[in-house]
Amino acid sequence: METTPATPGLAARVTALTKTYGSATTAVTALDDVSIGIRRGQFTAIMGPSGSGKSTLMHIMAGLDTASSGQAWLGDTEISGLGDADLTVLRRRRVGFIFQAFNLVPTLDIRGNILLPFALDGRRPSSTETGWIEQLIDSLGLVDRLTHRPHELSGGQQQRVAIARALATRPELVFADEPTGNLDSRSGREVLALLKAASTGYGQSIAMVTHDPIAASYADRILFLADGRLVEDRERSSAEEISRIMLGMEQRA
Amino acid sequence: MSGQPKTQMVPAGHAGRGASLLVAALASAFGVVLLQVTSVLATVISGDDVAGIGAVKSALTMVAVLFITIAVYVSSIVTTNTVATIIAGRTRTIALMRLIGSSARDQRRAVAKEGLAVGAVGAVLGAVAGTLLMAGGLQIAVATGVIPDLRYSLLEPLLVLPVAIVVISTWGAAWTGSRRVLTVSPMQAVGAAQELSLEEAIRRPARNVIAVVLIIAGVLFLAGGVIVGQVSEYGVLLGLVGGLLSFSGLVLGSHLIMPPILRLVGRGLGTNTPVMLAAANSQQHPERSSRATIGLVIGVTLITMFAVAGATFEKMMELAMEDPSVRAAISEMVGISLAVISVLVGFSALIAAVGMVNNLALSVLQRSREIGLLRALGFTGRQVRAMIMAESLQMSVAAVGLGLALGILYGWAAAQSLFGSVAGGGLVAPAVPWLLVVLCLAGTLVLAVGATLVPARRAVSVSPVTALAAA
Ligand SMILES: Nc1ncnc2c1ncn2[C@@H]1O[C@H](COP(=O)(O)OP(=O)(O)OP(=O)(O)O)[C@@H](O)[C@H]1O
Ligand SMILES: [Mg+2]
Repeated sequence: METTPATPGLAARVTALTKTYGSATTAVTALDDVSIGIRRGQFTAIMGPSGSGKSTLMHIMAGLDTASSGQAWLGDTEISGLGDADLTVLRRRRVGFIFQAFNLVPTLDIRGNILLPFALDGRRPSSTETGWIEQLIDSLGLVDRLTHRPHELSGGQQQRVAIARALATRPELVFADEPTGNLDSRSGREVLALLKAASTGYGQSIAMVTHDPIAASYADRILFLADGRLVEDRERSSAEEISRIMLGMEQRA
Repeated sequence: MSGQPKTQMVPAGHAGRGASLLVAALASAFGVVLLQVTSVLATVISGDDVAGIGAVKSALTMVAVLFITIAVYVSSIVTTNTVATIIAGRTRTIALMRLIGSSARDQRRAVAKEGLAVGAVGAVLGAVAGTLLMAGGLQIAVATGVIPDLRYSLLEPLLVLPVAIVVISTWGAAWTGSRRVLTVSPMQAVGAAQELSLEEAIRRPARNVIAVVLIIAGVLFLAGGVIVGQVSEYGVLLGLVGGLLSFSGLVLGSHLIMPPILRLVGRGLGTNTPVMLAAANSQQHPERSSRATIGLVIGVTLITMFAVAGATFEKMMELAMEDPSVRAAISEMVGISLAVISVLVGFSALIAAVGMVNNLALSVLQRSREIGLLRALGFTGRQVRAMIMAESLQMSVAAVGLGLALGILYGWAAAQSLFGSVAGGGLVAPAVPWLLVVLCLAGTLVLAVGATLVPARRAVSVSPVTALAAA
């Protein structure tokens, strides 16, 4: 899997990852011995019923949360041993985030929000980066929204701003947790098409958590979690196939 | 409506209750102690002449009432603003209550009722604490021979006055501060968009016009007072009217005046990201940032005004009087009066500072999701701390700076309009006691840093995962 040209390298991986919450008596096992690799340049969906551990997995992979045991790597960096300061810089420079809601800083305008990762890093975008950002803003249809504030935008527009921000630094991996969860189906499809385009267009690695079989059908690969375990690993599938797998998982549960 | 359980309505939170309680207690303790000091002083001054006590006491009481009024005024502003800040942060919850059928008036009444309870408890606690403090102080003063061992009476009917005023003003302040509840629409619970700050949606042209008119009229009266003061000490009456009008205009229009000043100070603090975010925050919430700072502006203005008036008066007298012994006497009198007045007004500034610290704490509490997002995107704990520190510095510097400027203007106008004719006409430049300026700046720094200790710890401990999960 490592070096054959047919299988690209891994943008991130976790091995034997376990996460438990609470004390011994009331322990909840959110992740139970999970080993997963996210392939570079691919759009990967992580699916599973509610409470199956999808968000927990994403948070640990992105350096937002720490595991109870097991290892996590981003590229060649083992992040499971890093302290808060190192994780913070890693998040700032090497990953991008799109959350379900409340993605944007309400006091900054749209341009300020898109440029936030650079501001947090205490630098201005270089001229190549600026060119790239302008291109993103253009393709996401945000050109005449740049001086607006987040609350003046619709939910779908806000998610597009979050995408622009996540892609602006060309991070090694973009994490998206239910990015279409708050959107109607049309804006949802737009957002998914944009993520897909970033992946096929220039090889952006994306890991997206979702409930929605239609959203997952945009992905190159779909990982299924149930009760904190990896239960299926599928290449690109249709929404119907994905629904069937989900239904089967729910019936077994 | 009457059959509904009241537990449904909890618009005011615990977060601000402590601060409102403290403010009420401070104001009440201040009032009680001041009246008791007045009574003790009257007894000491009139000595054995029992008949004379009445006259001395009523004169001193007038002065005490003036300073109590200032303290109550400042604490009312602080409480009004605390309540308004809490409500602004709970727009969504209130909207949800409205959505499920609670009426806005019920919600508001609950806030006012809580204000009444907080005011009553705070006022009584403050009065008891003040009286104990006073009794202890009196014993020490008598024991050390500072004052003679006479029959002092600390408990008198008049003490009910400050307590009652504090209860009523806290109640009224909660009522005023909660008027925003009425403007919350149930729809605000439905919108999935970012919280739209409630205050930004409200434009109040009438209030703005009144503020501007008051300021212009006040400045004209002040100028008139200075001119008339050249020939008659009655110029001070014009000046007084001008001061009251213009200052009321400033307080009313603080949401127009504070933001540009905050912006200016923000620029001076630098351009790195934490500072920029802090500046953006106070810019986008002009109501909140002016609310947080106006109490402090009032306190600093008053202190500076008295100090500059005294110093300017001294300078005018120096120019007018030849005799060095007269000059020395005047200088001593001014010095003592200023020390006393500064302590009395300083207490109001303290109450205002409590308000500002509380406002900052509330603002951090209400922004924990935003802070969580910043942490997720790569803001370090240190940057979060720097952001809060920048916000605190920005507010303190702006408030103290404006207060100093206004105080110098008012103090100079007061001295000119009252003593201009005595000093033989002509205008002198305002005399600024630099010690005061240095003390104010030091106080600002202590306040700015102190105000951030608790909120910064809380903000840094915000976990991005939990902050973003909280719906
Ligand atoms: N902070 C926490 N404390 C205790 N238990 C938690 C905590 N966070 C998550 N859990 C538990 O861990 C399990 C996995 O949660 P997680 O949020 O990862 O699920 P999910 O797959 O993202 O679900 P959903 O689709 O509903 O978002 C759940 O049982 C949840 O209750
Ligand atoms: Mg989840």
